[in-house]
Amino acid sequence: MTELDNLPEGSDAALALDFALGALDGSTMRSVELRLRSDPVFAREVARWQEQLGPLSGEVAGVAAPDTVWAAVDRELFRAAPPRVPAAQSIWATLAIWRAVAIGATGVAAIALGLLVSRPGAAPVAPPGALLAASMASTDSGKAVLITATYDPTRGAVILTPAAADASHGLTPELWVIVGKDAPKSLGVIDLKDPQAHRIPAALRARMNSGATLAISLEPAGGSPTGAPTGPVVAAGKLATI
Amino acid sequence: MSGAAALVSTLARIGAGDRDSLKMLYDATSAKLFGVILRILLERGEAEDVLQEVYITIWRKAAEFDPTRASPITWMVTIARNRAIDRLRARGSRPTTTLDAAAEVRDAAPTADVAIDAVNEALRVNAALATLDPRHAAIIRSAYFEGLTYEAMSEREGVPIGTLKSWVRRGLMRMRTVLES
Repeated sequence: MTELDNLPEGSDAALALDFALGALDGSTMRSVELRLRSDPVFAREVARWQEQLGPLSGEVAGVAAPDTVWAAVDRELFRAAPPRVPAAQSIWATLAIWRAVAIGATGVAAIALGLLVSRPGAAPVAPPGALLAASMASTDSGKAVLITATYDPTRGAVILTPAAADASHGLTPELWVIVGKDAPKSLGVIDLKDPQAHRIPAALRARMNSGATLAISLEPAGGSPTGAPTGPVVAAGKLATI
Repeated sequence: MSGAAALVSTLARIGAGDRDSLKMLYDATSAKLFGVILRILLERGEAEDVLQEVYITIWRKAAEFDPTRASPITWMVTIARNRAIDRLRARGSRPTTTLDAAAEVRDAAPTADVAIDAVNEALRVNAALATLDPRHAAIIRSAYFEGLTYEAMSEREGVPIGTLKSWVRRGLMRMRTVLES
């Protein structure tokens, strides 16, 4: 790394540098953004380059922004105005639809979950590339759907959309996939505070099929120390084709 | 308290849900972030939209900010750059008013107070850049300030992409060596 030889094209080290610099095309940037959320080693390397480059921004002259910008921030965050779909063309733009799914599901949580879980007959095999969703209800009965998880096989990522805020103070939510009678396999720790896409390790993608159960347990910081869920399971739901 | 330390505690209060602190942060940093965004997008209306998104993102992510991993201003600038670059990529090309708008940006208001801390850091980084081949340093600056892809820079500079990547990566690695020595 300290050698001045070039970083090999296609290496993680080169990708981290290119991303921090901002020289990647849109779709590559988005895939790197996904990866940052589930690969802490890679995220650290990106952060290191960002820290190195950050001081360059000291050269950019400040420009006073018009008052309307703060007014809009204030309105969007703190006033009871109708929620506005952000105009950003980031990966989150595509989340609008899942947000709608989650909102719809909240009102009819019990029914929705019942339908997803008790769908009769053999588990349908999803066509390649089909989206799969699980409405993960709180296991504390009487509570609404906690989160909608949508698995997008083309991205190899689960998009988590919280439908209700959850207080899990001091504990880290961890996502698991359970297929049949197999032991739960960890899909990594997640953040429930913000809608996000969570990258699924390639080796586990074959498990992401209709009928598999997604579950969230609360674990010590950094995730389960044993590789199996150790804390309470706060939400669970089955994947179904949508 | 230094500017950076003040920002760290402001971000901590924002992470805890303190709205007044978000306004304080906005007043202290919005000119800097707007400058960064405008330099990438050049178009004011779009830059204002992105600035708004950036503070909404900061409000939502403040609790995740880790002062042991990143400096507060770099963390915020990174959010602003990524949002602006996202927007630039979605647009596909830069507006035709480039030169006029760029001139307007250069003539803008002075650097915000919070950036004073960053001046020494900027000088160090500039000193490190100055050790590079001038062409390599220029390309790194273009990528950083204008948010251009390798492809766009390659076209503009008339240098093959592979060569350009090699300049940038070797340049940044050399900078790292200089900064860490």
